[in-house]
Amino acid sequence: MLPPSRQRLLDALAHRQPDRIPIDFGGSAVTGVHVSCVAALRDHYGLEKRPVSVHEPYQMLGFIDEDLRHAMGLDVTGVFPRNTMFGFPNSQWKEWDFRGQTVLVSTDFRTTVEPNGDILIYPEGDESAPPSGRMPVGSAFFDTIVRQPAFTDETLNILDNLEEFSLMKDGDLDHVRASVAAAQGKNCGILATFGGTAFGDIALVPAPFLKAPKGIRDVAEWYMSTTSRRGYVHKIFEHQCAIGLQNLAKIHAAIGDSVDAVFLCGTDFGTQTSQFCSVRTFNDLWFPYYKAVNDWVHANTQWKCFKHSCGSVEKLFESFIAAGFDIINPVQCSATGMEPAALKAKYGDRLVFWGGGVDTQKTLPFGTPEEVRVEVLRRCEIFSPGGGFVFDSIHNIQAGTPVANLVAMIDAVHEFNGANHG
Amino acid sequence: MADLQKLYDAVLNGDQKTAIAVTNEALADGANALDLITNYMVPAMDEVGRLFECEDYFVPELLLSARAMKGSLEILRPLLAAQGAQPAGRVVIGTVKGDLHDIGKNLVASMLEGGGFEVMDLGADVAPEKFIAAIKERGANIVCLSALLTVTMPSMRTTIEALKQAGVRDQVKVLVGGAPVTAQFATEIGADGYSDNANGAVALARTFV
Repeated sequence: MLPPSRQRLLDALAHRQPDRIPIDFGGSAVTGVHVSCVAALRDHYGLEKRPVSVHEPYQMLGFIDEDLRHAMGLDVTGVFPRNTMFGFPNSQWKEWDFRGQTVLVSTDFRTTVEPNGDILIYPEGDESAPPSGRMPVGSAFFDTIVRQPAFTDETLNILDNLEEFSLMKDGDLDHVRASVAAAQGKNCGILATFGGTAFGDIALVPAPFLKAPKGIRDVAEWYMSTTSRRGYVHKIFEHQCAIGLQNLAKIHAAIGDSVDAVFLCGTDFGTQTSQFCSVRTFNDLWFPYYKAVNDWVHANTQWKCFKHSCGSVEKLFESFIAAGFDIINPVQCSATGMEPAALKAKYGDRLVFWGGGVDTQKTLPFGTPEEVRVEVLRRCEIFSPGGGFVFDSIHNIQAGTPVANLVAMIDAVHEFNGANHG
Repeated sequence: MADLQKLYDAVLNGDQKTAIAVTNEALADGANALDLITNYMVPAMDEVGRLFECEDYFVPELLLSARAMKGSLEILRPLLAAQGAQPAGRVVIGTVKGDLHDIGKNLVASMLEGGGFEVMDLGADVAPEKFIAAIKERGANIVCLSALLTVTMPSMRTTIEALKQAGVRDQVKVLVGGAPVTAQFATEIGADGYSDNANGAVALARTFV
């Protein structure tokens, strides 16, 4: 007999009605909670006062420790890649004063402060390399510093855009084994992020984890390249896919089916009102590689394939499904064509909605607790019938979100679960 | 004589090399800079906007066309100044303080340039005083503010308040945009307009001049 939380998640993923809606906060870098909000939640629930660990410095996401997971009634935990977005591991911790909040960061988290107060962070913790991230005064996140070396189409070398893709080493696999073992000890559902299969994720293209990235690294240049240098991008994806498949095989050999879902790709295809590309372009440029990865996963494992894409992407859902994705996140209901009831009716038996629980651009940060409660209850009502729903806000919980609204959100899910499932 | 339809096609198809080559060829043949912009490049960018609206074009195509257009504009701009030609309007644009995201802002800036506006792009993480200084320096009549993050949206309100205090609010129309920004928020902070896409921003700007 499985632990209730894991069974709950597995039921939801199998489109069976679970005993209650499973909840994820903190299971991945796209379902996370800003470190300041984690601290505020710990205070609210009266938990031990201690600095929160930052597992993803790029977005300053905080670990949800077991005491907080239990207090919030969460059903999912995460397995994270060995290295952060800035290319260093979270192997040892040190205290860091994050603008008045003491947090724990990796010992390789190395920063300097500009005269204007901006914070710079260094790839692989190497202060002799050019900084790869900047947190401006007034912000609570790092943004990538684009380091685009000069190039011409004649000098572009495919290997330059492949530096970050390599076969996993023993140390990487040891990390995966240890992380999965730790996650299993928590008796809940497991969402794993192994990395390496995000094709053209615009957050990864500038490679903030590399000391001296080469090839196409500028964001606009990359977007243009998907049209003007499509053959080059195809070659990158071909190589990346081949390496990714070998790594997935290694990982599966190491951990088997002990994780429930795998966050395979976070490439955003949606804007607020449209897509970044046509369905035809998606089917030409991305679909073959997604299908190869998802087909391998389905043929060889019990894992469910998790796809993240912000924005208006309903027009791509049929392609996502045909490519083999089982789960879509974050279900940005405020974007054009992403109306919750219509999505559930059209795709609810084929896609698991992992997200969509409450708007993080408007309601959660700026609404009243009652407005949060009403929106959460309505979303649960729409998305939960027949399973296929994991409660999560629409993308990470952002800095500055009132803790009263976070508590109202969690309480509303439990209210719904209590009313509907005893 | 240069085939000026090729200039239109090059901008429409995002072919910067051809756009620059045809522009240089046309100028060598004695073409008028303003004529190239008004009768070929602006109509091409209008068509790019139309294709974007009907989802034939997407962000990559917009970026390519904008780059092609900019390549030609860099050649033509000094000639325009010498001719004393007036732009459709003078725009100051930037991503507000605390926010480094600039793709959307860059697109809007490029589309405005393609629409015949003179654009001063202040970049990202722009403090209110920089907007004020630029408005005064350029005699701007439109200010565009961008933000991607919920935590930096309040900087839009701060910027508009600073424009009021500096006494320049009445000389400019303020347009806002960015992923979390809504028409309601624009109204709440006292902006004059909001658009959820670059093409819409150009259409809106044209109503203000």
